[in-house]
Amino acid sequence: MSSTPRKRPAPDALVAGAVVAILIALVLAVFLSGWGASLYPPEAATSQGREIRGLYDIVFAVAIAIFVVVEGLIVWSVLRYRRRPGDNELPAQTHGNNVAEVIWTLVPTVIVLFLFVISWQTLNSVDAVSAQPDVRIRAIAGQFQWQFEYLDGNGTKVATQLAPEYNQDTGEGGMAVPVGRSVQVALDSPDVIHAFYVPRFLFKRDVVPGQTNRFEFTVDPKEAGQFFRGQCAELCGAGHGSMLFTVRALSPADYDTWLQALIAKSNATPAPLPSGTVLNVTAREIAFDTKALEVPADTPFAIAFQNQDPSGVTHDIDIRDANGNVLANQEPINGGTSTNYTYEGLPAGTYTFICAIHPIPAMTGTLTVK
Amino acid sequence: MATHALAPAPATASRGWLYEWLTTTDHKKIGIMYVINSFIFFLIGGVLALVVRAELARPGLQFLTDERVYNQMFTMHATLMIFLFVIPMLAGLGNYAVPLMIGAPDMAFPRINALSFWILPLGGILMISSFFTGGAAAAGWTSYPPLSAEGPLNSPGAGQDLWIVSLILIGTSSILGAINFLVTIFKMRAPGMTLFRMPIMVWTILVTSVLVLMATPVITSALVMLFIDRNYGGTFFDPSGGGSAILYQNIFWFYSHPAVYVMILPAMGVISEILPVFSRKPLFGYKAFVFATAAIGALGFSVWAHHMFTTGSVFLPFFSLLTFMIAVPTGVKMFNWVFTLFRGQLTFSTPLIFAIGFLTMFLIGGINGAFSASVPVDFALHDTYWIVAHIHYVLFGGSVFGIFAGLYYWFPKMTGRMLDEGLGKIQFVLMFVGFNLTFFPMHMLGIQGMPRRIADYAAEAGWNDWNMAATIGGFVIAASILPFIWNVFVSLRGGKVAGDDPWEANTLEWATSSPPPPYNFDQLPEIRSERPLFDARHGRAGH
Repeated sequence: MSSTPRKRPAPDALVAGAVVAILIALVLAVFLSGWGASLYPPEAATSQGREIRGLYDIVFAVAIAIFVVVEGLIVWSVLRYRRRPGDNELPAQTHGNNVAEVIWTLVPTVIVLFLFVISWQTLNSVDAVSAQPDVRIRAIAGQFQWQFEYLDGNGTKVATQLAPEYNQDTGEGGMAVPVGRSVQVALDSPDVIHAFYVPRFLFKRDVVPGQTNRFEFTVDPKEAGQFFRGQCAELCGAGHGSMLFTVRALSPADYDTWLQALIAKSNATPAPLPSGTVLNVTAREIAFDTKALEVPADTPFAIAFQNQDPSGVTHDIDIRDANGNVLANQEPINGGTSTNYTYEGLPAGTYTFICAIHPIPAMTGTLTVK
Repeated sequence: MATHALAPAPATASRGWLYEWLTTTDHKKIGIMYVINSFIFFLIGGVLALVVRAELARPGLQFLTDERVYNQMFTMHATLMIFLFVIPMLAGLGNYAVPLMIGAPDMAFPRINALSFWILPLGGILMISSFFTGGAAAAGWTSYPPLSAEGPLNSPGAGQDLWIVSLILIGTSSILGAINFLVTIFKMRAPGMTLFRMPIMVWTILVTSVLVLMATPVITSALVMLFIDRNYGGTFFDPSGGGSAILYQNIFWFYSHPAVYVMILPAMGVISEILPVFSRKPLFGYKAFVFATAAIGALGFSVWAHHMFTTGSVFLPFFSLLTFMIAVPTGVKMFNWVFTLFRGQLTFSTPLIFAIGFLTMFLIGGINGAFSASVPVDFALHDTYWIVAHIHYVLFGGSVFGIFAGLYYWFPKMTGRMLDEGLGKIQFVLMFVGFNLTFFPMHMLGIQGMPRRIADYAAEAGWNDWNMAATIGGFVIAASILPFIWNVFVSLRGGKVAGDDPWEANTLEWATSSPPPPYNFDQLPEIRSERPLFDARHGRAGH
C-alpha cells in the first residue's frame, strides 16, 4: 500500500469548500425566496389530502438533505481532487473500506424503513372507506366524459349529473359535494381505464372496467364555495386531454338545495316534440346510424335522439359550421336514454353534425340545409 | 503468461467493405452496428419528442390538431427510445466491450450474435412502417388494454399490431443476446480472469442478461395475448369476456420494471470503468459494488406493482417496502462512485465529464423516484409530469449520459482515432443545460397537477411558463447532438491517432491495438486483479 496522504495546496480545499457552500446557499435561497414553493403540492382541500401533504413534506425534507450531502460530496471531490501538473505519483490506491460499506448500507436502510413506516400509517388513514359515508357518489368515466350519479344511503340512484364541468354562464355543472361531510366515490368505467384526479385533493384513483374502486374524502369546511379542477389522469384515447370535470365544494345547506334541484331535473319528462321537421338519429356502438341529414332552410327543426350504447357512454348532437364553430351545443344524454333536441333555423348551406364527446368519423355527419 | 495464438483466417478473395460488414460475425463490428443502428433510432425518437414539446410549448393545439396524432408521437417516442435506442445501444457497447474485457476472441456464438443484431433493424423498420398504415400505435408505450384493444375509440388499425409484432421481434433479439452474453462470460474468460476479477461492466452485463432472460419471455406472453385479443376475439384482458385489464399491467410491469435496470445497469457499468481510470484509483468497494448490482437485479423482480399503486388492485405495503429497499443498494453504488473520486487525481476528459454528469443527474433520478415508493405521495404524483421528470432523470440523466461517456471512452478503441475534446465539452455543456431545463420544470408541472399524455392544457392552469422552459430545453438538447455528429465525422477523418491505450486504462481491451484485430489478442498480459493493465504498468507496487 502506497498510502502516503498527498500534500495539497490549501486553496484547493478552500475553493472546493466555498463552491459547495455557495451551492447549499443557493438551494436555501431558492426555498426562502418562495421559488421552492413550486416544488410543493398545492394546498390540500381535503382532510386526507392534508395528511398526504404532511407526509410529502417529510419525504421532501429527507430528499433535500440526501441531495445536498451527496451532491455536495460529488462537487467537492470533483473540485478538490483535480490532477495537477506534477502529480506523477499515484494517489493512494484505496480498494475500499468495509466499515464504510456497512455504514452506508445501514444508514439508508434505517432512513427508508422510517419512510416506509410513516407512509404505511398515512396510507391506512387516507385509503380507509367507511360503511356509512354521509354522501355516496358513483363516478362513471366513459370515453371521453364523466358523469356523476348521486346515491342514497341504500346505494339507489336518486339523480345524475351529466354535465361534468362547471359552466360560469349557467352556474350549473360539476360534481357538487358538501364540505365537512364524508363523501365516498365509487368509480366505474364502461370502456377503458381512466383515472379520477383532483390535484388539490393530492389524490387519484384509477377507474378500471370490470371492477369498482372506492375512495373517500372530506372537504375542509373553509373551502365552501370553492371549485376544484379535476381531470382524467390515465390515457384513454383521443379525447383524454379534454376529459375534465369540476368538484364544487358547497356548504351542507347549499348542497342539499343543489341536490334537490338535480333530482327534480333528473325526473323531468323530456320536452315534447315540436311540430315541423323532426329527424330520427340513433347512436349505437359509438356511431350514428346516419351520416347525412337534410332540413329546410331558416326553419327550426328537432332531432329525436336515442342513445343505445350502455349506460356510462354519453352522446349528444352538436352542429358546427365549415370552420368548426359550434352553432348548436346540446347537453349529452346517457346510454340507454333518449331525448328530443331542438335547433334554431339555419341559413342554407352545408354543416356538420357531430357528437362533441366522440368527434370521430363514425360520429360525424353532414347536415344539408336548403 | 497466457497466450492466445490463433491461426489467421485462410486468405480469401478480397470483398467489398459493405459485404464485409453485412456478413460479419465479428463481435466488434456487430457491436459498432448496434451502436449506429441505435443512434439512428435515437435521432428519430428525438424528433418525435421535439414534436411533443413543440405542441406543449403553449396552451392550445398549434401543430397537431388531431389528438390521435399527438398520442402516436409520445407513444412512438418512448417505444423507440426504450426498445430501439437505450436497450440495444447498451447491448451494443456490451457486445463490443465484453469479449475484449475478459480476454476472449469473440462472443460464444458469433452467428447468433449477428442474428440478434439483424433482427433489430427489421423490428425497427416494422415499427416505423406503422406510420404509413393509417397511424402508428397510440396507446402509450405501456399499451394498456382495453385502450390497446380493437375498437373505434381504442386502437383500430394495423399500427398497434405492428407495434406488438415488432416488440416480439426485438424481445427475441434481446433473449438471444442475453444467452450469448451469459455463455461468453461463463465459458470464455481468459486464464486468470476469475469472476471477481472481471471488470464491473462485465458484471453489469451479466446481471442484465439474467434479467433479460427471465423477464423478456414474460412480456412476450402479454404481447401474444394482446395480439389474440385484438385479432382473434380473445378476452384475456377484456372484463366483459371474463378477462382482466389489470392482468396485463401485472405481466407488463413484471418485465418493464426489470427493463429499467436493463437500461441503467450497463450504464452504471460504463461509469464504473471510467471513474477509476480518470481518477487513477481502483473502484472503491469492488465486491460491495458487485453485490449491490446483484441485489438490484433481484429486488428488481419484486417491485413491479409500484407502477400500479392507483389501480386499487395491488397489495400496497409489500410493494412500497421493496421499492424503498431498492434505494439501499443504489445508494451503496453512489457512495462507492463518489469515494472512487475522493482523493483521486482527476483528469477531466470528456468521458469523465459525462460520467460526473451521470452521477449528479442519476442522484436526482434516484431521489425523486423514492417519492413514489411512498404510496400516499404516489397517489398525488402518479401519471403526472413528475413521473416524466423521474424517468428522464434515470433514463436520460443516467443511461444517456452513461452512453455518451461510453461512446467517448471507447471510440478511440473502436476507430483508432480520438474524438475532439473541445467539441465533446461543448456537447456536454449544451446537453447538461438543456436536459435540466427540459426535465427539472416537469417536477413543478407534475406536483401542480399536469397529467402526462395530454396534448393541451388550460391557459389558466398555471403551467405555461414551465412548459415553455421545457420546450426550449428540448431544443437545446437537440442542438447538443449536432456537435457530437460533427465530432464523429471530423474525428474519423482527421482525429488524433489513439494508440493502444490513450487513457492509461485498466482493462484488457486496451491491451490490444486500436481498432483490435479479428479475434482481438495476439497475447494477453497476466491477470492478477481487476486491473491487469494497471498491474502491468505499475507492477504489484500499485497495490
